[in-house]
Amino acid sequence: MVQNGRIRVAVDAMGGDYAPGEIVKGAVLAARKNDVEIFLVGTATILEKELAKCKLTNGSSIHVVGASDVIKENESPVDVIRRKPNCSVAIAAKMVKSGEADALLSAGSTAAAAISAIQFMGMVDGVYRPALVGSLGSFAPNTVMVDLGANVDCKPHQFLTFAVAGSVYAKKFLNITDPKVALLSTGSEESKGSDAVREAYSLLKNSGLNFVGNIEGSDILNGKANVIVCDGFVGNVILKFYESIGGYAQVWIVRKLKKYPPLRALVRLLFKGLFPATKISNETEKHGGGILWGIDGVVKIAHGASRAPQIANAIESAKEAVKAGVVESLKSELAKFNQGGKL
Amino acid sequence: MTVEDQVRDIVAKITRVDKSIITRQSTFKEIKADSLDVVQALVAVEETFGIEIPDEEAQKFQNFGDFVSYVESRVAQEEKV
Repeated sequence: MVQNGRIRVAVDAMGGDYAPGEIVKGAVLAARKNDVEIFLVGTATILEKELAKCKLTNGSSIHVVGASDVIKENESPVDVIRRKPNCSVAIAAKMVKSGEADALLSAGSTAAAAISAIQFMGMVDGVYRPALVGSLGSFAPNTVMVDLGANVDCKPHQFLTFAVAGSVYAKKFLNITDPKVALLSTGSEESKGSDAVREAYSLLKNSGLNFVGNIEGSDILNGKANVIVCDGFVGNVILKFYESIGGYAQVWIVRKLKKYPPLRALVRLLFKGLFPATKISNETEKHGGGILWGIDGVVKIAHGASRAPQIANAIESAKEAVKAGVVESLKSELAKFNQGGKL
Repeated sequence: MTVEDQVRDIVAKITRVDKSIITRQSTFKEIKADSLDVVQALVAVEETFGIEIPDEEAQKFQNFGDFVSYVESRVAQEEKV
């Protein structure tokens, strides 16, 4: 699996708001640590030019892999499978499937990356669609949320696989032995929520997981649950709102202190030095995005707006996910549910 | 196993619905298949039967029966060749 002690990451170098320039720079940053092998997948001539602009200290750990197609912004991600099976993200996915790489990273369309991964890498047994799992970090360091945006519409059984994936994440990365799982709804009663959420409630209740019932939005940060399960539409809206809180809170406090200049200056200094906005409620900065759980291989999704440092963080995080054996852990947890006929 | 049974198995596996509920009259919406399910089913059917289903034909499928009829006709054509 691992070559010369290095984890191999196939990077979709054409995906992302600042691709390929920032993706290539990010790869170069990550490669400086000398413990990762990076395959930049995309239009070879363009990538080689970008790579030539960077000062490589250990050039041999970055390789360019040619891809004849690129997914454009206005194209349907579903078309990847039939019309562009040789686009950069599809080639990167195929590299993981064939064993040429250990993980896939993309900052391009999440849907295109997910669809490529589903089609070309395959799903773990018992999983219908992959989900994005992530820690809420600062305000709720022992809480993970799933799905953060991979599935806008969900079938009830998907919530169960989300809960299993979230529990594995909480055990692996937050060291929580028996994570409390909750379903995000509009009330704590079993009868609250959409049809899918209500059906999911009974699946979770009988799952054998440490299910604590429904929680409401006001419970997200209070630690009632270590794993919060919701569909990708809700999860993505909450994630982006959450990530924006830090910056707005700082502006609000500084404005409120307008009449007290010395205090205002002190607060500004505190925010700048100790609590920069991005660190208050934005853990994805540190991790460089989220892992797509449920795919039979590690797939890391970085924010579309990622610059080189975030890409380097995402490569590092993909490497850690491979090392931690997240896919194997998920498979073994899901196998218990498959045996019990619950999936 | 008939072509219809094979296509039904593929669609049921991808959409994770009980194959007994998939009739020739079932629409993709009725079996809760989204666009990715449909494309995955098309690709799987193409691979299984060694045929290619052009997009313009696939867009005409109103229900499972249309899909099966098209595959049956293409498989018959292939057999003649």
